[in-house]
Amino acid sequence: MNVALGGLLTALVTGGLSALAGLLFPTPRRATVVGIGTAATGVAAVAAGVAAMAGQPAVVALPQLLPLAGLLFTLDPLGGVFVAVTGAVAVAVGIYGIGYARHGLRGRSFQAVLPLFVLSMVLVPAAASVGTLLLCWELMALTSLLLVLAEHRRRPQVASAGRWYAVMTHLGLVVILIGLLVFAANAADGSFAALRAAGPTVSPLVAGLVFVLTGIGFGSKAGIIPLHAWLPRAHPEAPSNVSALMSAAMVNLGAYGIVRIGFDLLGGGPGWWWLLLLGLGAASAIYGILLAAISTDLKRLLGYSTTENMGLVLVGVGASGLFAASGESTLAGLAMAAALLHVITHAAFKTLLFQSAGSVLAATGRRDLDDLGGLRTGMPFTTAAFGLGALAASALPPGAAFVSEWLLLQALIHGLPASGLSAAIVMPLAVAAVALTAGLAVVTFVKAFGIGFLAKPRSPEAAAARESPASMLTGMGLAGAACVGLALLPTVILPGIGAVAAGVVGSGNPVVVDAVTIRLADVAGSLSPLLLALALTVALVAALAAARAVATRRATAIDARLWDCGGGPLSARMEYTATSFAEPLQRVFDDVLSAEQDVDVTHVEESRYLVQTIDYRRRVPDRIERRLYQPVLAALAGWGRVGRRLAPGSVHRYLGYGFYSLCAMLILLVVTR
Amino acid sequence: MLSLWRKIRSTGRVAEPAPPAPAPTRPTGAAADGPAALPMFGGSVQIRHVDTGSCSGCEIEIGAAFGPVYDAERYGARLVASPRHADALLVTGPVTRNMVAPLRRTYEAVPEPKVVVAVGDCARNCGVFGGAYGIAGPVSNVVPVDLEIPGCPPRPETIVAALRTLTGR
Repeated sequence: MNVALGGLLTALVTGGLSALAGLLFPTPRRATVVGIGTAATGVAAVAAGVAAMAGQPAVVALPQLLPLAGLLFTLDPLGGVFVAVTGAVAVAVGIYGIGYARHGLRGRSFQAVLPLFVLSMVLVPAAASVGTLLLCWELMALTSLLLVLAEHRRRPQVASAGRWYAVMTHLGLVVILIGLLVFAANAADGSFAALRAAGPTVSPLVAGLVFVLTGIGFGSKAGIIPLHAWLPRAHPEAPSNVSALMSAAMVNLGAYGIVRIGFDLLGGGPGWWWLLLLGLGAASAIYGILLAAISTDLKRLLGYSTTENMGLVLVGVGASGLFAASGESTLAGLAMAAALLHVITHAAFKTLLFQSAGSVLAATGRRDLDDLGGLRTGMPFTTAAFGLGALAASALPPGAAFVSEWLLLQALIHGLPASGLSAAIVMPLAVAAVALTAGLAVVTFVKAFGIGFLAKPRSPEAAAARESPASMLTGMGLAGAACVGLALLPTVILPGIGAVAAGVVGSGNPVVVDAVTIRLADVAGSLSPLLLALALTVALVAALAAARAVATRRATAIDARLWDCGGGPLSARMEYTATSFAEPLQRVFDDVLSAEQDVDVTHVEESRYLVQTIDYRRRVPDRIERRLYQPVLAALAGWGRVGRRLAPGSVHRYLGYGFYSLCAMLILLVVTR
Repeated sequence: MLSLWRKIRSTGRVAEPAPPAPAPTRPTGAAADGPAALPMFGGSVQIRHVDTGSCSGCEIEIGAAFGPVYDAERYGARLVASPRHADALLVTGPVTRNMVAPLRRTYEAVPEPKVVVAVGDCARNCGVFGGAYGIAGPVSNVVPVDLEIPGCPPRPETIVAALRTLTGR
């Protein structure tokens, strides 16, 4: 029995039925049915993806469904990875969404579109022709846009975020469309099989053009700078289950597109493609995490962290391409395996983090870290979930991202002696970039967790927060279990990932595992995440026990008042805030961030020496956005003003425009024929 | 960086030559009613300074006592940032009403054994502020004082000499 094909078809059917259920079921039960349906779609997709990774092919051809081109789906191991990731995210988010829908998301349109969005994300990696890919891509863009706009009645910022997202995602589609059409014009037809056959034979100029164009389009979906502008806008304003789907599943497909076009269809390519990709990835990683470290909006912080993690994935992909171009196929496989593993771990912890952030948002109505704090008592499970996610995201040993970033660093370090001059310059820089990113990620997530969840509540809403319903906790529990599993036993999935990576770059499997240890093939390096976590736990327990033993050996315990500078009880206003926590970092990176801050001091009327109020304002504008987007937007607005003169409101003139343009067209046709 | 090095080299050592070490038991600056035997700290005393309403004159002199010229740190006295780290409190100024509770809490926060040093005439007997509105009294009204340093303000040499009776160096 072909599980891959069966899973794919089941996902198609359940996804479609869930969307239909969203339309037809009455409001009280709608969210439950759609949530379970979405989760079932996810389960089917995971089955299909895992079976495809194991080598089962699945081909679905529907030639009549779309005129001229038809629909063609083929699930191969590479696509299988992304289908499985999307499915797994959908399972957790589907169950979570049952409870989350209580907060004004039970509407017919939202509940009907959600399964369609999941379905389109499952189909994109399975698409096997240009037409199919573009159709699924556009379906994904439209459904996600509708979901982002779900709360537009409640908050006016949603509309602005939606506009940014709509424009960016459609410009991305346009460049992908142009790139793929140029590619298809040089091949027999639009199917990926034909493109794959034509890939190595097209001229380097065309191949480069195709790679750059599709890279721009897919990169904008992955949130790579300078095309990340939509991401920190759309992620915070979307409902949290949609943010989780977008951040953990949708952005991955940008990386998928680049790997599919660059490696699979174009068959590798010259080193400069991958150098470009590696550079952009490293810059995105650093810039993304830097802005995450200084943002105070919890979901915006997570959005910037997505840019960072996609940057790391593209560093892996770029390094892999560079190694493949210089003939180091094992290292190429290793870097690709690191990139794919990071896609998976990022999906796990980002699902968990966005779900916990949504749980906080639902309980308090606040996203600003400076208004949160003290959630540990009211929301213990959410706090634990966010803590687990933060640990996974900060790339420290018992966390999930540690394993993938360790693999990535191993590939980069071992690449130094292996290949030529460009690698000798690029690899150390890339290692430094990854290391800096990891350090800043620790700062970011210590801030998000410590300020947001611990200490005293900074607002009455945070003080009154209560734990979320069981369905949301179940969703978080699933994602949390995935994080723990990936952190402790990556050895279970690494052989599969390694085989897929080896298949993509055409090498042997770059990683060898036994029960607990990961060994790298051909280069020295091994890691036992489980033993490492065990050793850390034992060391921690031993240190605590020793401290306790020393403390109890003392004769008497003394009750002492908590030292509060002698001035009375400490209040929440004396706490560190997210802004003050990030302030030293903001100073260090002031050349990059160029924060704007002003301090207004008003004095009491009687004396200039007595201060009445101090008003401190800080804004950290996205510098890339300001330099790159503002001039373009200003030029467009200027064009619009000039163009308005052509439309003064006279019907005669409009008729005239139509007449003359028709005549011009006809004349053009006559002349050129 | 280089100019800093040059400055350090050209300036050299500016500390006053050390006067002879104090007699081990009898504090030189202690008032007549001070306790006879102070706890010995084995040559090192961590000091927390508390300003309970001083005019800042004593603070300037304390600053000078710990500056490069009088350099109290070479005798084992050191200023710290929290009473939890301290062995001794250095209290300046008459105790104002607002500072009564903080001074008492600070005293309670210092681990045993502990000493309190009242620096300057205001801390000993309210000085020129005696009987003024808002003054709760001298330091000894609030916490037990072990050592008093007279002067308005006391000279740095006097402060250093008194602290040396605590450190015993």
